[in-house]
Amino acid sequence: MIQFFHVSKRYPSGQMALEEVTFHVPRGQFVFLTGASGAGKTTLLRMIFREEVPSSGQILVNGRNVSSIPAGKIPYLRRTIGVVFQDFRLIARKTVFENVSYLPRILGVDTQGQKRLAYLALRRVGLAHRLNAFPPELSGGEQQRVAIARALINDPDILIADEPTGNLDPDLSREILRLFLEVNLRGTTVILATHDRETIQRVGRRVLTLDHGRLAGDQELVGTDPPVLEPPAEAEIPEPAEAPSPGAAEEDSVPPPPPEEAAE
Amino acid sequence: MKFLQALRYFFREAAVNLLRGWKVSLLAVLTIAVSLFIGGAFLLVSGNLAASVERWRGEMRVVVYLRPDTSEADLRRLAAEAARAPGVVSVEPVTAADARRRFQEISPGVAELMAGWQEEPLPASLEIGLETRTPAGRAAWLDGWRRRPEVTLVDDDREWLGQLETAVAVVRAVGLALVGGLLAAAIFTIASVIRLTAYLHHEEIGIMRLVGATEFFIRGPFYAEGLLQGLLGGLLASGALFAVYQALHARRSSLFASILALDFLSPKQIAVLVLLGAAAGLFGAVASLRRESL
Repeated sequence: MIQFFHVSKRYPSGQMALEEVTFHVPRGQFVFLTGASGAGKTTLLRMIFREEVPSSGQILVNGRNVSSIPAGKIPYLRRTIGVVFQDFRLIARKTVFENVSYLPRILGVDTQGQKRLAYLALRRVGLAHRLNAFPPELSGGEQQRVAIARALINDPDILIADEPTGNLDPDLSREILRLFLEVNLRGTTVILATHDRETIQRVGRRVLTLDHGRLAGDQELVGTDPPVLEPPAEAEIPEPAEAPSPGAAEEDSVPPPPPEEAAE
Repeated sequence: MKFLQALRYFFREAAVNLLRGWKVSLLAVLTIAVSLFIGGAFLLVSGNLAASVERWRGEMRVVVYLRPDTSEADLRRLAAEAARAPGVVSVEPVTAADARRRFQEISPGVAELMAGWQEEPLPASLEIGLETRTPAGRAAWLDGWRRRPEVTLVDDDREWLGQLETAVAVVRAVGLALVGGLLAAAIFTIASVIRLTAYLHHEEIGIMRLVGATEFFIRGPFYAEGLLQGLLGGLLASGALFAVYQALHARRSSLFASILALDFLSPKQIAVLVLLGAAAGLFGAVASLRRESL
């Protein structure tokens, strides 16, 4: 799914961000990416969705060489990758619905379809009832869940999270982490960058460690206290006549997202 | 996304942006409206002046004044000779007595000026109506009349009509140059407004790019915004021009208004004015985002 071959990144200032990094993340794997601040975690993640290009080496995502795809094709790559940041990156003047439904809007899904998809994504993160709220009205944890819903709305193949719990207290962090693990349980490949070693020890999973831009470790950890996860809910949901109105109860059932794909 | 769907999205977003930042948008709309208003005003003035010139050209005539001792027989002979020349539509021989009577009729207040003279005070003349188009050799023909011993003066309307035509051309050229400069200023204003809007939206643009929006989709609303500003400016300018024209038209008894407010711009000219505004707006938007990575 994600393959790095001898990837190096040197910035124009001469600073070496990554050096000869090689690894392979198979489809459906959950990977922690760890290392001290400045170790190169963010640079590595940004390369996966072609926000950065390597100075040397090759990166394959879903079999495509992302370092050589033409600029016009980058948006199509990014539609298969969900990204979550530490600072949430929500637009304060837009509602939760508007914040979550950027991708369906870009794909040309009609408003009803957008609402349905937003509702489904928000339901996965437990915020379907806040469809009409504005980000400043939400807690930090809720804002991060909205950002996760935005990343999940198109059922991406890959979910990338860069220090997603960095701004949250331990309880909220656990909640957010559980969400990522549940997303992974549904088959999405997850790469989560964090420097929180304690969480990694507790949860377990594969851990890639960066040190001064070099891959210093690649190990499979057994968690000391892995969270109990709910098995993924079946997608078979009775289909109502209409999409739920914003603010409908979370228990409301909704049809699965329409297969509206754009011919952009 | 289908093209029409995308267009609908662009214009909806553009309308929201226009309303949200209505003060700066109004500035852009007004700049373009002012430049197009001035351009339209020059078009209106030069068009009406040109129409007046054309009308006067149809009424153009040459008056050949004769010596006081010219007999009526000579007057008839000269009139017959003038009528044979090419391009002459009409020839009216005016005797000295006719000229006096005409003066007294036109200016009854000073009619007594013409009384008490032993000889007729005004000269006899030939009033020669000419075709609108000027045949070759007309100037030489008139010079021939000037050289005749019976002739004291040849008064040719074409001379000042020619000067008027030059004035119309100057008005057009000045108008064009002024509009060019003003439109450039308007485009610059629109470009600045669009750049400001793009800056205010940079966070959102970043998110759109992150989730996979194409450049066309990201830039479309800004192009639509420039287009709308230009279009509104063009419509505003056309409306203001019509209001000024109506005001002038209502006072067409004055010479100035009667020359300048004969006809309003044609629908085609108005369409050009509005489209010029839209094109300027779109150009401003494209220029402002051309080198921006947004």
